[in-house]
Amino acid sequence: MNALKRFKDCYFLYSFLRDPLAVGSLAVLVVLTVAAFAAPLIAPHNPYDPATIDIFDASTPPAWTPEGSEKFLLGTDAQGRDILSTMLYGMRVSLIIGFGATILQAFIGIIVGLSAGYFGRRLDALLMRLADVQLSFSTYMVAIFLGAVFQTAFGMANYETFAVPFLILVLGLAEWPQFARTVRASVMAEKKKEYVEAARVIGLGSRRIMWRHILPNTLTPVMVISTVQVANCIMGEAALSFIGLGMPITRPSLGSLIKAGFEFFLSGQWWITFFPGALLVLLIVAINLFGDWLRDFLNPKLYKG
Amino acid sequence: MFAFIVRRILQAVVVMAVISCIGFAIKHSFGDPVRELSGMTVSAQERERLREELGLNDPFLVQWGRFLKGAVHGDLGMSYLYKKPAMEIILGKAPATMELVIAASVIILILSVPIGIYAAVRPRSWLSRFFMGVSVIGVSIPVFLTAILLISIFSVQLGWLPSFGRGNELTPLFGGAWMSGFFTWDGITHLVLPALSLSSIMLPLFIRLIRAEMKETLEAEYVKFARAKGLKPWRVLVVHAFKNTLLPVITVGGVQLGIMIAYTVLTETVFQWQGMGFMFLEALQRSDVSLMSAYLVFVGFVFVVVNTVVDIVYGLVNPMVRIAGRK
Amino acid sequence: MTSRLWLSLCLVLTLVLGASATALAAGKTFKLAWGTDPEALDPHCQLSGPMLQYCHLVFDPLIRWKKDNTFEGRLAEKWERIDPLTVRFHLRKGVKFHSGNPFTAKDVVWTVERAKTSPDFKALFEVFETPVALDDYTVDLKTSKPYPLLENMATYIFPMDSKFYTGTDEAGQPKDAVVKTGSSFANEHESGTGEFMVASRESGVKWVMKRFADYWEKPGKGNIEEILLTPIKENATRVAALLSGDVDFISPVPPQDYERIKGNKDLQLVTMASARIITFQMNQKKRPEFANLKVRQAIIAAVDNAGIAEKIMNKTTIPSNQNSPKGYAGYNASLTPRFNLEKAKQLMKEAGYEKGFSASMIAMNDRYTNDAKIAEAVVGMLAKIGIKVDLKTMPKSQYWDLFDAEAADLQMIGWHPDTDDSGNYGEFLLMCFDKDKGFGQYNRANYCNPKLDELSIAAQSETDPAKRSKMLQEVEKIAYDDAAFIPLHYEPLSWASKKGMNTADVVNIQDFPYFGDLEIK
Repeated sequence: MNALKRFKDCYFLYSFLRDPLAVGSLAVLVVLTVAAFAAPLIAPHNPYDPATIDIFDASTPPAWTPEGSEKFLLGTDAQGRDILSTMLYGMRVSLIIGFGATILQAFIGIIVGLSAGYFGRRLDALLMRLADVQLSFSTYMVAIFLGAVFQTAFGMANYETFAVPFLILVLGLAEWPQFARTVRASVMAEKKKEYVEAARVIGLGSRRIMWRHILPNTLTPVMVISTVQVANCIMGEAALSFIGLGMPITRPSLGSLIKAGFEFFLSGQWWITFFPGALLVLLIVAINLFGDWLRDFLNPKLYKG
Repeated sequence: MFAFIVRRILQAVVVMAVISCIGFAIKHSFGDPVRELSGMTVSAQERERLREELGLNDPFLVQWGRFLKGAVHGDLGMSYLYKKPAMEIILGKAPATMELVIAASVIILILSVPIGIYAAVRPRSWLSRFFMGVSVIGVSIPVFLTAILLISIFSVQLGWLPSFGRGNELTPLFGGAWMSGFFTWDGITHLVLPALSLSSIMLPLFIRLIRAEMKETLEAEYVKFARAKGLKPWRVLVVHAFKNTLLPVITVGGVQLGIMIAYTVLTETVFQWQGMGFMFLEALQRSDVSLMSAYLVFVGFVFVVVNTVVDIVYGLVNPMVRIAGRK
Repeated sequence: MTSRLWLSLCLVLTLVLGASATALAAGKTFKLAWGTDPEALDPHCQLSGPMLQYCHLVFDPLIRWKKDNTFEGRLAEKWERIDPLTVRFHLRKGVKFHSGNPFTAKDVVWTVERAKTSPDFKALFEVFETPVALDDYTVDLKTSKPYPLLENMATYIFPMDSKFYTGTDEAGQPKDAVVKTGSSFANEHESGTGEFMVASRESGVKWVMKRFADYWEKPGKGNIEEILLTPIKENATRVAALLSGDVDFISPVPPQDYERIKGNKDLQLVTMASARIITFQMNQKKRPEFANLKVRQAIIAAVDNAGIAEKIMNKTTIPSNQNSPKGYAGYNASLTPRFNLEKAKQLMKEAGYEKGFSASMIAMNDRYTNDAKIAEAVVGMLAKIGIKVDLKTMPKSQYWDLFDAEAADLQMIGWHPDTDDSGNYGEFLLMCFDKDKGFGQYNRANYCNPKLDELSIAAQSETDPAKRSKMLQEVEKIAYDDAAFIPLHYEPLSWASKKGMNTADVVNIQDFPYFGDLEIK
């Protein structure tokens, strides 16, 4: 009770409620997330069940147009899948990948950054060179390499089932150096402060100092990067889908839906690209706006890098 | 000092060896080049013979050794697809990518500086809000969608700008080593749309960065002092305040450049822009594994060299780094 | 100071613009965009669609296909069968190669001999003996056994300039070497007899081909002075390039954009179904249920291939019940469509799989028109009879190794016979797999019917067209009755161009547009 009251009075909430853009973006974000995860309940069709898809429904325009059908509010794609349902399911996939990959990145980044910053010297050199190697291999290469490993390990036919963890792993492994470098920089700054010195003097182990004393003080930048990274990962997955390394079209993400619709861009079947595209933009805008506010609030100078 | 440089170079060599090993190991997952190189009806035996001829059946270490031996002499193998030395292909494609990135950077600079300054000076005006809003939406549209949107508006609907490629009037520079599109009208019109779509990813970031930096400097004492002294407002803005926001902008810009180069894969694909990103995807889709490995090693090499040089230069100017690195 | 700088800048700009304007003024340039460009300049480097399309521009075949599935002479004026093993070709006189060398029978002999050493053409030319040049303008093509498809094969003989390709180049490599993965004289130089000469070429970027002044066909039907060939890989970009007027002619056109192009008053679209059949193979060893004839029949009855042709392929092709398209010797008109969902369910019940089962499927996503979408549609159709299919689509670069390894129960394959003849389908797709003889090389269904093998082999050396046609029709019937594979439709071919060109006259079912005959108004 007390904690709740304290939260209510704090500056964080006050500042948040004063910014309509922040409130609005968080509201949109919450609505979209709930809609995405409630997709099996609220979507009018199940795009994962091939038995319910009829090829003769393919490319139906949205319901309000002359050729539209009431069955499909936003029309259907080239497969005959209901766009609205596919979008909801797709958004769920995108969000899982976005959050999952960001958590993985943060996890690796924090461990590497913390050890490199705290122990310094050899380990620092080793880990930072590792980050160099990582950065010289773009996300695409990581995707290709891991794709091959996964295929040999789990077999071909199961790609659909492991595509989500696979993409989380790819995006997670590809972009951890961002976190690592930020954490390392803050750790190096924190390390010289007196409270660390004090903790060392009273004989605390380095693990305890790292995790309990230094880490909490580096979390602010991690929070800020995280919001940006969620958006980046969702976009990254869309980019991978575009070159054919993302989600399969039978289990589409928003990115692979847009990719599938990309070919229809010039052909007049605008709804196939437009709706998933608009939803993705809305989602990313909401995340970015919220992230902006968070950054401005927590540390306006952070993105100097 | 000397020891520091030697140590840093040694590290770089080790990193290069690791990259080349990974780059070479990956190549087996790109698919079978022999398939791509022969017609459907070519028999299994014939394909096996070709594979043997290309040395694809040799043990991994033998292949890697052969590759390293060549690489030391600057020979990264033959591209199966282009039927030319891979190095030649990569160097031939690099200018296209560089020009695209340069053009995109120019667009970013031209737009982000005035908009950023304006948004910092008049944060509450409608125009700044509009710019900030557009930039948030801009960064939220996948770059391939931006690209096709631009094509469909400016090429297909309006017919103002060409829809693909670099045009047919490239100017050879450095004895033909660099085919440039900067010097003809045709080349520049071809450059506009790809550069715009590539810049759309980074533009918002820079606008915000400049805005934030400007906001900060505008509150600094010396700016207040300059104002108090009665200098013209624009002079205070441009000469005093903006000059001091440049350094962080350049620092971040350097980091973002690398990310931008990675994004060229998408832009180049949609615009059929014949750069390294396009080549990368082409090689990937057509299983040109030797070009793939060469590309990986080449990119890794450039990256490592740049990093090493930067570190060494830092070490030269800032003795702290040197000492910290000493054990 | 500044004004002088501006002045010089303006001067430079004017010069540059002036230079470009003069470059544009010369000649009638035809801007062409294909999905991929030819691999090299050597006709024997690789057997592929783009390569053959290139050969029809820069080289000339002895004879070539006409629209009505007969042949017309090009470098051969006429030809006659002398005996079951020999066809005599009378060559055109006064034909010159691009190098200026005269074209004679020696070049034909040389070219056939070279093709026999090329990895890609070796198998196709295996049946040929060394041709015999009777004089400079008469040559006998001989085969080791009676061979009904000699004319079909003669369309693959693009005589090369034997004098030009003889000797060694600067690197000391023989000029006639067939090199698939590196540089060679023949990969970088050409001397054919064709209407166009390669003026410059940047692989994957741009080809410039100029009219050959000494071309034998005078006056030619077409009026192109220069061809500017650009490969544009991305479908949407290729279409946009045509819509925006940056190119004059594109191929292929993605089906979803047909309406848009038809609706444009400045553009025209030509489409036809090719002979490339798109099918799925049901692996009878890997998936025991598929060994049951009733199950296979049920699957075929569940697949609404007419629906796919109409909805996914946008009515650009025709659904098929067999391998051979209409007009082929093996086309069997008695084979009727089998789609019938009720019957399919019934058959599943009879087979004892009323509850259905699971199966895996692989398909490509960058090879045939809408390949991945087709596969997805089939998955949906099979779900209706209780077969749960796990589909994985992938790029072609990863596909064929898995196909060969029988990685999935249902595997997609499209097949176009190199010989443009029905027998070829059976030999590669349906005959029992025999690694040594090379039969059934792409039969990964483990389907095997000795009767079908026997007929296919007999048809290979049957020179009586009527008898042969009967045999091949019987082959189709057997495969149909055995429910050997799931036939879908023929890969559509499509060409779109600006109006004011006789596009429809120069394109054909082989997808070798004869641009030499293209007339631009």
